[in-house]
Amino acid sequence: MAIRTEELLMNIGPQHPSTHGVLRVVVKVDGEIIVDAEPVVGYLHRGTEKLAEDLQYTQIIPYTDRLDYLASMINNHAIVGAVEKAMDLEVPERAEHLRVIVAELQRIASHLVFFGTYLLDLGAMSPFLYVFAEREKIIDLFNRLCGARLTFNYMRVGGVKWDTPEGWVEEAKQFVQHLKKQMDMYHELVTGNEIFLNRVKGIGKFDTETAINFAMSGINLRSTGFNWDLRKNKPYSIYDRFDFDVVVGENGDCYDRYMCHLKEIEQSLRIVEQALDQIPEGPVMGKVPKILRVPAGEYYSAVEGARGELGVYIVSEGKDKPYRLKFRRPSFVNLQLLPKLLVGQSMSNLIAILGAVDIVLGEVDA
Amino acid sequence: MFGFLKGLKVTFKQLAHKKITLQYPDVMPDFGERFRGVHKFYPEKCIVCNQCARVCPTSCISLSGSKREDKKLHIDTYDINFEICILCDLCTEVCPTEAIQMSDKFELATYNRVDLYKNIYWLDENARVSDGLLKKGETEEQSGGVK
Repeated sequence: MAIRTEELLMNIGPQHPSTHGVLRVVVKVDGEIIVDAEPVVGYLHRGTEKLAEDLQYTQIIPYTDRLDYLASMINNHAIVGAVEKAMDLEVPERAEHLRVIVAELQRIASHLVFFGTYLLDLGAMSPFLYVFAEREKIIDLFNRLCGARLTFNYMRVGGVKWDTPEGWVEEAKQFVQHLKKQMDMYHELVTGNEIFLNRVKGIGKFDTETAINFAMSGINLRSTGFNWDLRKNKPYSIYDRFDFDVVVGENGDCYDRYMCHLKEIEQSLRIVEQALDQIPEGPVMGKVPKILRVPAGEYYSAVEGARGELGVYIVSEGKDKPYRLKFRRPSFVNLQLLPKLLVGQSMSNLIAILGAVDIVLGEVDA
Repeated sequence: MFGFLKGLKVTFKQLAHKKITLQYPDVMPDFGERFRGVHKFYPEKCIVCNQCARVCPTSCISLSGSKREDKKLHIDTYDINFEICILCDLCTEVCPTEAIQMSDKFELATYNRVDLYKNIYWLDENARVSDGLLKKGETEEQSGGVK
């Protein structure tokens, strides 16, 4: 006589340490195997896009800090870049260099957090402590530059708010050299570990076609072997002047996404190093009208965020406030594939797959 | 098994390293001069231009002023609601006389939501504490003001 079994409906989150914020996943399990999964989003919704309709362009910048709070500098870059493109404004050379430096340092900090928290999800405690010590150094550099540790509000339309304090450039150079040495240690600590490899190799696999059909971008797309990086393919700011490689994976599994993150840190370090060497003297703020009025029309501009293509779509009626502002948030788009990835996997793989998709709930819910 | 042991080697090496944790609150962190903590306010510098209140993204600043004998505007009330202030620094950026600035004070936890409404007296006192004109102990008795 066969044992009668039933499917079980399980709720994970929203208050769960491994959902990286307030994501709720409702999964249907048959024993240990997931039959159906549905992410429920919106627990961190603050209505940033609606709020922006009532704010001047400068006032929107602090709100973008709070989208992807692990990569505030890149969010700042997205919104100021979009307004500058729409208004056709010139940005001084030094400001452009500073933007690239802070954006890439921020990408490194964000990827380090991925590395730490992903390993934490998989049950390894110590890598988290190692990377947060390094991330702290980046945060300290930013704190000395713009006075905040997380919500920087550093960039302005037409430039950046602060010039570097004395000795900042040298300190940043030292940090780059320091982190380069640390990278080998991370690989030694984790990448060769057999337990880790068993947990991530071949798990959460998808191919390029699926990724493109789901409009995925960033490392999630590149890990499938597709070469697409906005910094190379549609260079914005001054990224076309730097020498770096686009990191691509092969299989599109969790292991590839992990490796892409680590390799991208190395490439970002290369960019920061070059930018720090080339940084010219001069003003950090260009000539900008006192009240920013974007000419009537529709504009789209995107940057390569830490998690993918971060786009800003402005609909303007020629006033000092946008008629409608839309953020194309990469975390939100990348999350859409999650139910497909989870079906057929075991419950313990859920956290491994979710962690590797690398979402930030501030950005998913906006 | 080899990779696993390699990782353990790194962990053991780390044992000899210096500890980097800061023992807050016994040891206070040094955030540097640009740090954006709670505001400090210099009433004598303010010209009541209202720019800070207008630029504030969350509209947490409210102020009022009046003309005195010298026929210039002087500040009467200046309130910041720290329940909704996001410490974005835009108010200090537009201030033409640097009357409103950011101090390095950052501990704002209170038992009561009402305590987060800070008035001109509190902000002025914060300026004097932050500039070293007033000691921390003195503020306890003198503060209070209008809450």
